Amino acid sequence: MEEPRMIHLENISKEYDGVTVLDDINLYIRKKEFVTLLGPSGCGKTTTLRIIGGFEYPSTGRVMFEGKDITNLPPYKRRVNTVFQKYALFPHLNVYDNIAFGLKLKKMSRAEIGKRVDKMLNLVNMAGYGKRSVDSLSGGQQQRIAIARSLVNEPEVLLLDEPLGALDLKLRKEMQLELKSMQQQLGITFLYVTHDQEEALTMSDTIVVMNAGHILQIGTPKKIYDEPENAFVANFIGESNIIRGIMIRDELVNFSGVDFPCVDAGFGENAPVDVVVRPEDIVIVGEDIGQLTGTVKSVLFKGVHYEMMIESGDFTWKVHSTSMQPAGSRVGLSIVPFNIHIMHPMKEAGK
Amino acid sequence: MKQFFKKCYLAIILIFLYVPIIVLIAQSFNAGKSRAKWEGLSLHWYSELFSNVSIMNALWVTVSVAVIATIVATILGTLAAIGIYSMKRRPQAFMMTVTNLPNTMPDIVTGVSLMLLYIFAKVERGYFTMVLAHITFDVPYVVLSVLPKLKQMNKHTYEAALDLGATPAYALSHVIIPECKQGIVTGALLAFTLSLDDFTISYFTTSPLVQNLSTLIYSATKLGISPVYYALSSLMFVVLLVLLLIVNHRTADNKD
Repeated sequence: MEEPRMIHLENISKEYDGVTVLDDINLYIRKKEFVTLLGPSGCGKTTTLRIIGGFEYPSTGRVMFEGKDITNLPPYKRRVNTVFQKYALFPHLNVYDNIAFGLKLKKMSRAEIGKRVDKMLNLVNMAGYGKRSVDSLSGGQQQRIAIARSLVNEPEVLLLDEPLGALDLKLRKEMQLELKSMQQQLGITFLYVTHDQEEALTMSDTIVVMNAGHILQIGTPKKIYDEPENAFVANFIGESNIIRGIMIRDELVNFSGVDFPCVDAGFGENAPVDVVVRPEDIVIVGEDIGQLTGTVKSVLFKGVHYEMMIESGDFTWKVHSTSMQPAGSRVGLSIVPFNIHIMHPMKEAGK
Repeated sequence: MKQFFKKCYLAIILIFLYVPIIVLIAQSFNAGKSRAKWEGLSLHWYSELFSNVSIMNALWVTVSVAVIATIVATILGTLAAIGIYSMKRRPQAFMMTVTNLPNTMPDIVTGVSLMLLYIFAKVERGYFTMVLAHITFDVPYVVLSVLPKLKQMNKHTYEAALDLGATPAYALSHVIIPECKQGIVTGALLAFTLSLDDFTISYFTTSPLVQNLSTLIYSATKLGISPVYYALSSLMFVVLLVLLLIVNHRTADNKD
């Protein structure tokens, strides 16, 4: 069953002093969905989030919330809550009062507030920390309090602006899983902003890839990874080899001077295309049986696999493999049709 | 050897700074009227001080002006700081220059220009104009104490309050002002101290009928000064010293 649409951005554009940061954004978010806005810094993802939170107003376009126009509604009248970058807790209040801040504004009874705050502290694994001052907590603990402070208000949508950006890698991975399980447990819609593609792939139901104020692709993590729509998305999500090619006809593409069978169709005949091959999808074979031949230029040990740069003609392939070929050796490369992904060439404008 | 000279140098500076004040305090306890002769320890001048009507009037003027000016300047200065904080970079830099300028300007320039303004606007000089003048020179100090506190704050603090359902007024009174409370109190203390010991600006902005302590002392010196004023000056020195110590202690704390 499809959940109803919670938030719908309609033709949102935003300009600051004549500079366009968002250009005609259209996006909807379904109830209980975990949506991630992913893109490099300055791509407009945070601005999009702030427009939904009510901290910025779009230059044109509308923000719809459950079918109602909330474009000009101030933040304190919106049924969304935000977890800010670097938490933005109130240092003059202790942990308990930070979390109770929103509830006190709702004129809730003391007993009820106490009950809800305790429940939240349990949820974020911070039970017993109520009396502590905010400054005495570690970054990870502050993050948990910031999340609790937002969730206690039972928002329809929780907006998270790079909430894990300030944490170290190990803690970040733990928090990713915790956030995801909290979201599923509470059934709240999450809109998450990050520039970390791995984070996006791990947590999201839907990823929205943005760059330079445009949405480049919307899809499930798997779809975005396996079938990027253009070179930017392919490059940003995971590592990839992107090479110019010519689509000879349906299911046959030519690059590096060799014809490769593939599974994509509908690009026309002799059309210029971008070809994506993931480094782990290139198989190293004997020099005599490879579709391409090349020379190993460098080898890096990456833990799970070796990363080899293999020069073939005028293109250098990045290849991930668990077996190592020494630098300088001649090898053959082979790619199965399913692992060759064809994209329309990027328009140069906007890069 | 180097250490020795360092210490001597410091000692000489301190002697130059504090010997006059020590002499003043000592003389205030001198029983006799002569400055050349020590006639024994006495609190005579202090008792005379507290029974002197014009001095007590001046004390009242000084303290009440300082209190009113401090309250008004603290409110104005805090709000101004919040306004400057939320400005864009360029207007903010401009406002900071405008705020800093009066601090670097000699008091006499401020005093004379305020006097000219009052004359020009046909406002009769007296208690009211002195209060206005004190507010004027206090405000920048409050702004400069509050602004760093605001800048230390997470830039999303105000938005976080709105996000949790606070109206702008509630966010201001329950989040922003408590967050920079330390800076506000420091600013108020500084304003109060400056107001208490101001002479130059007060001199130009009041009438001879409304005297504060410093203008009173100044006019008294013209007639040959009575040791009562030694006692008065000693007390002022002690009060200001205590206030300054509190202010310095607080600013040192703030830097942690």
